Amino acid sequence: MTILRGLWTARGGREPLTVADALRRAEQRRREGRYAEAGALVARALELDPDNLHAHLLAAYLHVARRAPAPAREEFRWVLGHDANHARALLGLARIALEEGDAHECRDLLRRALRFYPEFPEAAALLEAVRTREAAPRPAASAPAPPRVERLRLPGTGRALIIGRADGGLIASQPVADDAKDVSEALARTLGLAAAALGRAGLGPLHRAIVEDDHDAVFTRTDGDLVVSLALPRATDPTQGLLDVNRLWSATLHELGLAAGPPAAAPSSTPADTPVARTRRVI
Amino acid sequence: MSGPRLKLALEYDSASRGRHVRDIVSELKRLHWVRGALIVAADGFVIAAELPGTIEVDSMAALAATLGRELETSAQRLGRPSFCTALFSADDGTMFLAASRIGYLVVLADQQVNVQAIRGALAEAVALIEAAWAPGEAAG
Repeated sequence: MTILRGLWTARGGREPLTVADALRRAEQRRREGRYAEAGALVARALELDPDNLHAHLLAAYLHVARRAPAPAREEFRWVLGHDANHARALLGLARIALEEGDAHECRDLLRRALRFYPEFPEAAALLEAVRTREAAPRPAASAPAPPRVERLRLPGTGRALIIGRADGGLIASQPVADDAKDVSEALARTLGLAAAALGRAGLGPLHRAIVEDDHDAVFTRTDGDLVVSLALPRATDPTQGLLDVNRLWSATLHELGLAAGPPAAAPSSTPADTPVARTRRVI
Repeated sequence: MSGPRLKLALEYDSASRGRHVRDIVSELKRLHWVRGALIVAADGFVIAAELPGTIEVDSMAALAATLGRELETSAQRLGRPSFCTALFSADDGTMFLAASRIGYLVVLADQQVNVQAIRGALAEAVALIEAAWAPGEAAG
């Protein structure tokens, strides 16, 4: 509660409210994405009833919604201290564990939640995603030699190339960078969750991804085992970026001995059709 | 930007924000080749959704929010800027994800979708959210 009071100051007066009213209004604000107002109302509710479990749970959700995992964890733990099998608190902690890279803890918490509430779709979906990640192929005892990555020609504007496995293992990078292993692992985690979401939406297995931030557009191709990811400037035309990553994909397969014949050159079959049509084709 | 555009009136009064987010989702859903759209908070709470009946909303939202957070926390750990938009393409369709102040916008589309049109529409939707939710209001 101290945390909530520190973060959120009640607005719009201090008219008398019952705990139930405050929580009802807080839920309504939450549904509208008005997290600050919702937080202030929860703080009011906790002033009136410091041991209100619903208020603590709502406080935890609001902390997560504003991307503040530490106070959220504290609130979820408070709830579990009063109800050890509270499925939603277990799910909340599981998601924080996954964010922090602890898939083992995440899986244990989700299993606990599902033990008591087997029909808990969010927990089941997340557990499936975590299991899929764990089931990804592990590095072979005698891993193949890295491909002759220097033979893979980055496009002129290419900033970085990561070749990895679906389990996050790094095969090669260009340029060689200290954080390439971490990037490969992060990429694998992202692709694993994306594959689970696509599967849940009935869209089939993941093949390509484009992730953009303020500086870069990262084009990725995968077959569920191998991952090839190319960072280009954000202004790169998506069609060109996808063609570039396709070319590197073919070349990587060749270098790994997974494809017969010479590495494919960048497709030259980009006739004078519209950019939109070309984007559709390469995706 | 080519293709369909979102045409929404900015509504700043707080009472109408619930309708505002639902309008944003409805407009995204109306775009060509789009099967469904939703806005999910970072905690997995569904703010608004229009998804086909075959898709279980809460599960989809939980995975989308977890994916969004994974993209954000990975970038943070690696000292890189957080993601703005992401696109994941599969055999039978494409999922788009965009980060906003109040959560993540998700669009599920057919394989034939006009990628640039959806990216443009998502950028507009995020801009509308940014304009309607003052900086301190959502984050607290």
